[in-house]
Amino acid sequence: MTNNRRSNPTSAHAVMIGLSVLAIFPVYWMVQTSFRPQNEIFTTSLWPSDPTLDNYRAVMKVMPIFGILWNTFLMAAATTVAQIVTGLLAAWALVRWRFPGGRLAHSLIALSWLVPFQVVMIPNYVLAAKLDLLDSLTGLVVPNAAAAFAVLVLYNAMRGFPREVVEAARMDGANSLRTLIEVVLPNLRAPVASISILCFISAWNEYFWPLLLIRKMENSVVQIGLQFFMTQEGNDWGLLMAAATLASLPILIIYLILQRQVVESFMKSGIR
Amino acid sequence: MTNAVFTLSAPARRLPRLKALEPWLYLAPALGILLVWIYIPLIEAFNLSFYQWNMLPRSQPRYVGLDNYANLLSLPDMHQAVINTVLYTIGLLPISVGVPLVVAILTAGLSGRLRNLYRSLIFVPMIVAPIVAAIVWRWLLNEDHGIVNVWLQSLGFDAVAFLNDPDVALWTLVWITGWKLIGFSTLLFAAADGAINASYIEAARMDGATRWQIIRDIRLPLLSPTILLLTMMTILFGAQWSFVYINALTGGGPLRSTTNVYFLMWDYGFKTMSAGWSTAAGIMVFCVFGLIAIACLALMKKFAVYDE
Repeated sequence: MTNNRRSNPTSAHAVMIGLSVLAIFPVYWMVQTSFRPQNEIFTTSLWPSDPTLDNYRAVMKVMPIFGILWNTFLMAAATTVAQIVTGLLAAWALVRWRFPGGRLAHSLIALSWLVPFQVVMIPNYVLAAKLDLLDSLTGLVVPNAAAAFAVLVLYNAMRGFPREVVEAARMDGANSLRTLIEVVLPNLRAPVASISILCFISAWNEYFWPLLLIRKMENSVVQIGLQFFMTQEGNDWGLLMAAATLASLPILIIYLILQRQVVESFMKSGIR
Repeated sequence: MTNAVFTLSAPARRLPRLKALEPWLYLAPALGILLVWIYIPLIEAFNLSFYQWNMLPRSQPRYVGLDNYANLLSLPDMHQAVINTVLYTIGLLPISVGVPLVVAILTAGLSGRLRNLYRSLIFVPMIVAPIVAAIVWRWLLNEDHGIVNVWLQSLGFDAVAFLNDPDVALWTLVWITGWKLIGFSTLLFAAADGAINASYIEAARMDGATRWQIIRDIRLPLLSPTILLLTMMTILFGAQWSFVYINALTGGGPLRSTTNVYFLMWDYGFKTMSAGWSTAAGIMVFCVFGLIAIACLALMKKFAVYDE
């Protein structure tokens, strides 16, 4: 009977190895193809016999990849900071005070993820055009400067914060903003880190809104750069894989360093 | 005179009002952005759905009443897109819920370093950008030289036109969408399974329960909140997740076989420039999925078993 508990490790290992290979093989194939010289693209050995950086040089010639990566970094970093600031302020309002309309505000924030982007894309596009935000990084950040997820995670974290400490700060004459920054915020490292990771990665990978907004390659972010590239260079697989590898590299590096935190922050968010 | 009275009583009266405003000042940035970029646009989309408009700044929207809705409902394109949306969802469920659940239960006994290695590997697809996933799978599944077709042919099968065969393309996109989720879902189930109180299982075993009985009567009921959550997420968002792959890989084709309702809105909005049709489709989709969301939440309350 006790053997049952160990649930037959060999078969468990086999299942996990199968799933791991399935998950990692496409990424591996992307990287190895990117190092293949032109005449070796279609061979099926697991590693190129004569690895080369030619594809990477070619990518740099065809598109301003480093400028695009820098744009993407700026956009993702700005979005992250904005979501944390707006999230902190909103969560603090909902935790610190009970006030008429508070529940309504809470539900408006919580339900916003139910509205599919495709439903509001036309009004959003028209508004962005009116505000002269087309083809700009600001335009990519502004609509995403607040997110339900950030507010709700910070709200839950702040609710667990001992009320007496907040009261004591108020007795000492600290106003609500100072209490938030000096008393509450230092205890929110874990949720803030978790939101930062999740938000940075999803902003980096964001596709739909940049697709609508961006016209010129030099203002582009990397996902749209890849899209342009795929349409132009169609079947130059070495080139495409080199570009895709460069686009994924920053995220894969973050994952290598912060693996546990990355996995945890995604699990906390549900899926969105 | 009145002036003097005003200035005298003003501070006393204004203070409580300012106090009442304070939380709203904190809420303003987040709420403002959500209102301006989500809720007001939602109302505008509803409004636009009664107009015919080609989105050019100079042209005036023309009021057409319910025509957009009537036209859409009688349009074969729309029927096809609705059917495809259902197919995407049904196709995704085994990959995003079924397989991960089985894998998590089968591998619950694993521990130690290798388990951690597996976990970090299977999660990787989740952080890969959708467009990167699209490009890489386009290469892997290429009809002439892709490694998958090379393998298939070496096993004696014919090459499959994964993205160009109308009977296959939709399932290819379902697979790519699912590939990104499968590891993530597995980890969610594994976490939920790990949180099950071991003494329940121990007690059942003492009573002579078989492994299958333990799974059926203890594990599955206690995993039901996660099962329902992932099922709900897949139903609500599965078709949206596929959008990137449709747009990047098939453009809704071949023969509209991969067009779902979200791609249809995009197609009407920014390809054929008919804002009215796009928003009308959007409002219908929003209402249908809103009802589904309410139904799902009600079901979750009713059927999920919590360990209290």
